[in-house]
Amino acid sequence: MSEALNTSWFDPARINLLVGLALFVAFLVINIGRARSGREMYIRPMAGLKAIDEAIGRATEMGRRVLYLPGLGDMSEVGTLASIAILSRVARRAAEMGCDLDVPGYDPVASTIMDGAARQAYIEAGRGDAYRPGTVHYVSAQQFAYVAAVTGIMLRDRPAANIYMGSFYAESLFLAETGNQTGAIQIAGCDQVTQLPFFVCACDYTLLGEELFAAGAFLGREPVQLATIAAQDWAKALAAAMVVVSLLASVLGHPELGRLLQTR
Amino acid sequence: MAAKRPGGWAARLMGLDRRIIFALIFLATGLPLLFPVNLPITPSPRVRAAFDTVDRQPPGTYVLMSLDYEPDIKAELQPMAIAVLRHCFRKGLKPIVLTLYPAAPGLIERALVIAGTAEGKKRNEDYVFLGYKSGSQSVILGLGESIRQMFPNDFWGTPLDKIPMMKGKNSFADFPLVINLSGSSIADYYIRIAATRYQRPMVLGATAVMATDYYPYLSSKQILGLIGGMKGAAEYEKLMDITGDARRGMDAQSLIHVTIAILVLLGNLALFLTGGFRPGGSGGSREGTGR
Amino acid sequence: MRYGPLLVTFVVGTALVAMFFIPHHKVQEGQSVLLDWANVVYAFALILGSLSLWASHQRKFLSRAEGWPYSFVTLAALAFVTIAGVVQGVEEGTLVNRYYNMVNSPLASTMFALLAFFIASAAFRAFRARNAEATLLLGTAIIMMIGRVSVGEFLWSGFPPVTEWLLDVPNLAAKRAIALGIGLGAVSTALKIILGIDRSYLGRS
Repeated sequence: MSEALNTSWFDPARINLLVGLALFVAFLVINIGRARSGREMYIRPMAGLKAIDEAIGRATEMGRRVLYLPGLGDMSEVGTLASIAILSRVARRAAEMGCDLDVPGYDPVASTIMDGAARQAYIEAGRGDAYRPGTVHYVSAQQFAYVAAVTGIMLRDRPAANIYMGSFYAESLFLAETGNQTGAIQIAGCDQVTQLPFFVCACDYTLLGEELFAAGAFLGREPVQLATIAAQDWAKALAAAMVVVSLLASVLGHPELGRLLQTR
Repeated sequence: MAAKRPGGWAARLMGLDRRIIFALIFLATGLPLLFPVNLPITPSPRVRAAFDTVDRQPPGTYVLMSLDYEPDIKAELQPMAIAVLRHCFRKGLKPIVLTLYPAAPGLIERALVIAGTAEGKKRNEDYVFLGYKSGSQSVILGLGESIRQMFPNDFWGTPLDKIPMMKGKNSFADFPLVINLSGSSIADYYIRIAATRYQRPMVLGATAVMATDYYPYLSSKQILGLIGGMKGAAEYEKLMDITGDARRGMDAQSLIHVTIAILVLLGNLALFLTGGFRPGGSGGSREGTGR
Repeated sequence: MRYGPLLVTFVVGTALVAMFFIPHHKVQEGQSVLLDWANVVYAFALILGSLSLWASHQRKFLSRAEGWPYSFVTLAALAFVTIAGVVQGVEEGTLVNRYYNMVNSPLASTMFALLAFFIASAAFRAFRARNAEATLLLGTAIIMMIGRVSVGEFLWSGFPPVTEWLLDVPNLAAKRAIALGIGLGAVSTALKIILGIDRSYLGRS
């Protein structure tokens, strides 16, 4: 049996997702309006992100470089996009402090974009001439070839600080443990839940889950960016409330709300 | 209260050289492989559910199997693939096998030869191997429309139209069961597309680290069984009453875990003796610190 | 201000989101085409990446910088695989295929196998009962390590159900919470990129 060609213009089974998306965009618009009206957007301190300045300062004093690993995702992965946003901030701080930065890339497209982002960050810090070509360099798009290259860099160059931000997989413990061996201060943020325990064990600071996505806004402190974090929090509160309400409703014999939340 | 003056051996144990730990792990890995103990294995409900799902299929049922792993994780997934293939062959099912990983075809070919030889099955009569196609998500989407568009020939170049076993089989709709053994997020695509969009009953195999990510899908019945890691593969082999690499490897895995547990306990004993334990302490100012 | 890339991002991003809700077969075909284009872009970027790799190692080799022999090996391997692949192809039996099966794959498996040693040293260092939370982590880790293998079942039949409960209830609850946060963070980041709020990928903060 083969499927007849679908000629409908909307999938009614996905209406709940469309409503959710519309609500999220509404929260975004409201909070950006609040930010632009001058209202202060509070974001709680995250120890790992505050430590980035400390790490770059330590590296500058020791005359050693900062190693920034953007993860093993490509440009279609949101973790990589978040990593690029954080790299811009880290590169700017490194430029301001006069610290050397090394960014080995896994994905060739992402490496090209990160090179542009880092270069621009140096220019914005007024240190465009200090940007070293090869700061961002493509290594390999093979997982363990990348790991071998990066651990080699760690053991030979002995960077003072290792910053892991992005999508990491089975190599996370390998990298973090090798970095630990060299005595570097290590800060990690990963969107792969299964790898978080390894980073927690081996790193000094770990950003858990969504903190990776908030990091760019936290470091830049731009009101509009902070507004998106507020929108995220509103959406999370709504999701939590709906989970509790649908659970209570199901217990009381009305599972309809729970079914409404099911996706296809 | 001042910290106790550290004892000699306790302080040395706290800072135990990594190389000693590595040597102990080396021994814990090697010795059971040389002197097997054959510890008991009890299949878990999740693996039993996967086994029962395959076992329930009547003879002649076509099964679409996507085996997506490379040499680095073959220790967990290759025994799993062989056990599941042998089960399919024993039940008279017809697996159509493909892969979305470029380095996988060699491994899958070996798995098919091992399983086929053990159960007396022949290529293109009892199973078909389509080979590798790049694209991951777009290939899986394409399997929902036309397998022949994605794989015009099998792995050895024979056009699918010339393989009698493939007659009338051209999309997800023609397969009452989909099995995916994967070491990556390809499993998410199969769940989203094959199990959810096309409503195909699905069994999943994953590495031990990734398996826990899929527990929610098992409880929501988007997948009907889950085989996790080498232990899951060993449990499947136990249900099949065969001894493969997974069962042989469980002795080594057991001893490694015990070794690590003993090292951790000794380290904590040393910490206690050197006065490092503070039961009323908070989590500390560092978030998620491991130090 | 580079409006061109922002406009392309907005149009394509919005189109892909819309395609998720529109099951019309023409629209879904369009989505497949876009996914194919992404593969083509990746292929060209791979060439760019390889040239960048060649350039950086060539610099190190010619200037005899520290570690230059490793750079020579990298350049030789890159040249060999590229030339052999173009001349002979990459099918079964070709030089590149044999090199991949006899060198690359065993090396990858070996690297993965080293994780066992790293887990041991990381566990020894990290699982220390320094405070209440760390003690809880330690206790859970010991139970999981013993209970998840055959020896746990051998020592006490209650180990497997306890570990299953730990995985099914507290672990899954925490994972779901973190996954919910990650999912919302991912949506937020994607929307920021599509709407042009975050332009770091263009090289602008």
